[in-house]
Amino acid sequence: MDMNEKPKVEEKVEEQKPQEVPEVEAPKLPDTKEGKLVAEVLEKAPYAEGNVRRERRVEFKVPADRIKEFLELASEKFEMLIQISVVDWLKEGEFELVYQLWSVSESVHAFVRTRIPRENAKMPTVMDIWPVAETYEREAHEFFGIIFEGNPRLGPFILEPREYEKHPLRKDFNMLGYVKTIYGEDFDRYDESKTNYVI
Amino acid sequence: MSERKNDEFINYELQEFKLFEPLFKWARKKSLWIVAFCTGCGGIEMPPLATARYDFERFGIMPNPAPRMGDLFLITGYVTPKTLKRIIITYEMMQDPKYVMIHGSCPINGGVYWDSYNVVKQFDKYLPVDVAIAGCMPRAEAVMDGIMEIMRKIEDGTADGWKRYRENYEYYRKNQDELFGEGWREKDARRWLAWI
Ligand code: SF4
Repeated sequence: MDMNEKPKVEEKVEEQKPQEVPEVEAPKLPDTKEGKLVAEVLEKAPYAEGNVRRERRVEFKVPADRIKEFLELASEKFEMLIQISVVDWLKEGEFELVYQLWSVSESVHAFVRTRIPRENAKMPTVMDIWPVAETYEREAHEFFGIIFEGNPRLGPFILEPREYEKHPLRKDFNMLGYVKTIYGEDFDRYDESKTNYVI
Repeated sequence: MSERKNDEFINYELQEFKLFEPLFKWARKKSLWIVAFCTGCGGIEMPPLATARYDFERFGIMPNPAPRMGDLFLITGYVTPKTLKRIIITYEMMQDPKYVMIHGSCPINGGVYWDSYNVVKQFDKYLPVDVAIAGCMPRAEAVMDGIMEIMRKIEDGTADGWKRYRENYEYYRKNQDELFGEGWREKDARRWLAWI
């Protein structure tokens, strides 16, 4: 019953309020709870871009130097940090950090994207906003080599202590070459002539 | 008895007592105590194996937390170098005769992690293996089958990994040192085991 009723309510509201939308930003925000949430955040943070992907999924793009400021602001609406994921854009020479936030009160999932250069990648830590960020930042540090300033736990690689300088999820990490040197070449699968190829 | 050479004393366990050996083998076969090193996904198969459905205790098998009292060493999944250090130390702590069963494709040849930077590809380069169960993941029936196989092997004396480990210790030691670097026992293992 609830499922059927809700769209009707929203349709009615849409007819009344299209005047407010052009005030905010270029991409039109739909007049749903997601749209209102984005508009509310963007009002306080005009340097960011935001749009609604679909129901319960919103997206922000923030310049890297203001990310902390933005997340502090966003944490009022989005109480939970789910994950910090990193995308390695090798050709552009950039890392894209995606802070995934969850709003417990509104049930909305937000991606906060930001890009930083690959060389000497540095970010301020967000541990003071969400303490759980400690773990995610450590993970990003281990796999991609991003340094989060202020995080005390950026230690050596947890699984393989002897190769600290390796960041295995970077796109330019030669995985197969590494495997060959570490585990030996005497496997049929790595047979380049493919005479004994297993998979 | 006092004339017995030192050498003989060390190899005492390798000798066979012709008369009682069949009895010993039967007894070993019927009372396998498992040291389960549940490293990966295969650990999930241990609870159904132990509980009412497949109930391995009817074969005289018992899960056992202490390596000093174990016979059968179960490696149930992918092995990372970090885990392999613990596995080797645990294996060396176990009494002879000891049998190793590896469980799933991962320890055999890397499985789905075949080009992963952090999974050991061939487990039998580092420790001798008696029975390997293929599959990703093998069901509890397959594990039971592997256990039956190891029982057969104990009975006809072909489950001799513990002997092979002694005889080819240089080979295994060399592979271990290649992977971990020289002196890993002193550096790492001493942190967990003070007496090494
Ligand atoms: S063989 Fe399959 S089930 Fe077993 S540890 Fe590897 S991935 Fe997991």
